[in-house]
Amino acid sequence: MSMRSFFLLILLAISAPGSAEERDAKTIVRDAIDHWRGISSYTEMAMIIHRPDWERSMTMRAWTKGDDHSLVRVIEPKKDRGNGTLTDDNSMWSYSPKINRVIKIPSSMMGQSWLGSDFSNKDVARADEIIDDYEHKLLGTEEADGIVVYEIEAIPHEDAAVVWGSEVLRIREDHVVLEHSFFDQDGELVKSLQTMEITDMGGRTIAKRQRMNKADKPDEWTEIQVINVDYDVELKDSLFTLSNLRNPRD
Amino acid sequence: MRIFGVLFRLAWRNLWRNHRRTIIMLGAIGVGVWAMIFMTALTRGMVDQMITDSIGVLPGHVQMHHPDYQDDPSIANRISISDADLKDKFDDAGFEAWASRVRVPAIITSERESRGVTLLGVDPAAESEISFFDYEGVEGRFLDDAADKGIVIGEELADTLETEIGKRVVLMSQDPDNEIADRGFRIVGLYSASTKAVEEAYAFIGKTTAQKMLHIDDATTEVVFLGDDYRNVEPIYDAVTSAVDDSVSVRRWYEIDTYLGTMMNVMDGFVLVWVVVIFMALSFGLVNTLVMAVFERVREIGLMLALGMKPGSILGQIIIESMLLMTLGLAAGNFLAWATVTPLESGIDVSIVSEGMEMWGAASVLYPKLYASDMILASGVVLLLGFLASLSPAWRASRYEPVEAITKV
Repeated sequence: MSMRSFFLLILLAISAPGSAEERDAKTIVRDAIDHWRGISSYTEMAMIIHRPDWERSMTMRAWTKGDDHSLVRVIEPKKDRGNGTLTDDNSMWSYSPKINRVIKIPSSMMGQSWLGSDFSNKDVARADEIIDDYEHKLLGTEEADGIVVYEIEAIPHEDAAVVWGSEVLRIREDHVVLEHSFFDQDGELVKSLQTMEITDMGGRTIAKRQRMNKADKPDEWTEIQVINVDYDVELKDSLFTLSNLRNPRD
Repeated sequence: MRIFGVLFRLAWRNLWRNHRRTIIMLGAIGVGVWAMIFMTALTRGMVDQMITDSIGVLPGHVQMHHPDYQDDPSIANRISISDADLKDKFDDAGFEAWASRVRVPAIITSERESRGVTLLGVDPAAESEISFFDYEGVEGRFLDDAADKGIVIGEELADTLETEIGKRVVLMSQDPDNEIADRGFRIVGLYSASTKAVEEAYAFIGKTTAQKMLHIDDATTEVVFLGDDYRNVEPIYDAVTSAVDDSVSVRRWYEIDTYLGTMMNVMDGFVLVWVVVIFMALSFGLVNTLVMAVFERVREIGLMLALGMKPGSILGQIIIESMLLMTLGLAAGNFLAWATVTPLESGIDVSIVSEGMEMWGAASVLYPKLYASDMILASGVVLLLGFLASLSPAWRASRYEPVEAITKV
């Protein structure tokens, strides 16, 4: 062993614990997202928006490909049929058959609610910013039902376009996200996405029901239920285009 | 000339023959003139402040934009001249102050709220002589330099967003390709302005930080120039227009904010209308006094005419009397106005009605402003109209038939 590689080894040994853990935490998050989405996916799902005095549900189809592309189309109820949302990287377009127009969601509307739910347009358009824009830290591991659960704290970078003080994810070792909580900069819980039901579907173990809930309004929530999912399906790039958003050819 | 001296003496003595009536009339004129000037000073102060505030906030006396910026203040309409070229052009051109800014609409978001704001990317060094709020008065600190990574927002906005100094907020806008441009900023300072509307409207970040965030390299959207008086912006306007070509539009502040421009003109008109209206009320008293004075002295006037005094001299005598009355009243009124406005110039607190004042953009402290021009205008108008009002009784007096007048019981 040369002198040089020896130093390198020492250097690695010293720096290893911190960076390894950081890499670990990041990898866990990354894996969870990949697991949920696959290289490509086709999902049929229901979205239930619950308010104290009313509740409504929609069913929709969603296609995703890679990190950037996704297309969501509403199937039911009938009056919303055909409403679609296309995302490409950080941009987002919506189409409504009633006005027969494709609208690019401007930055000013990214914080607004998506299809009237508790998800914001931003939540939909940028699911994977949680990887690049944050520092991740493994807070701890626990065991539930014989499965290891990692608790990971993600703190946004100083200049990241994220308002949260921190986000805490609880991820099972089989990559199922149990909980994703958003805290403000005083460390107070603002909203959280909780997995209500886990199941095997499309050859994977995934969260079947997930519920988004604002901390200060416990009786208002939005639930996403996966009805059917196929992973790693063959999807053409032409699926994720504005013309397909307007004139569905699936 | 000698006759004028005689007439003047006669008029002066006649004035004090019924000194009670004269003093009452003097009082009326004095109070009237005081009201004219005092009210004018008050509104002047208000409008002046609105204009200086607003110019401080937005314009600078002369501004340069992309020709389409006024209609669509987006990042697509930015100035074609690079910041470095602007610097070459204007740095030594002798402006009181000038600065280039990135000014675009944006959305500011905290954990709980989001609001639309005007994003101002500024260079604090250039801005210090222009901007409306006092940098020392910023709670926390203002931006250190153009590359500062912090953000300064208004106190009111911080309240609305439920955030505070030291916390992060996210600014979202659009880059020239209509892609979302956003970035997190830590709040380093909170400014306070005279109105809440202003505190909610502007978010300051470093100019180069803004350029980086919006992907516009070295471009800016607004260049502002400041002279020493907002009423006289032509020299700056000419200097700027001659330095640039047609690719940008250069405008004076009153062309940019037409509301303010109109406000200033309306104000000038308002002063005149106000003065005339008060004089209308006064003129009844004045004419009455003069008519009475003439009426009491019919026999005396007849005698003077019979002794050979020309009718023109009678006319002159009455008019001089009226003018003397006016002048004394004006002196009293002007003095009264000066004596009451001066102590108030440090500001009248009207915060009880501040919400109402804010609705039309005025602050809650009034600073009355006494302009010599307004005093001269009021006095001039009163003298002129007083002269016209006294013509009729004077003319009547001069037309008496001596014999009839003398024998009149």
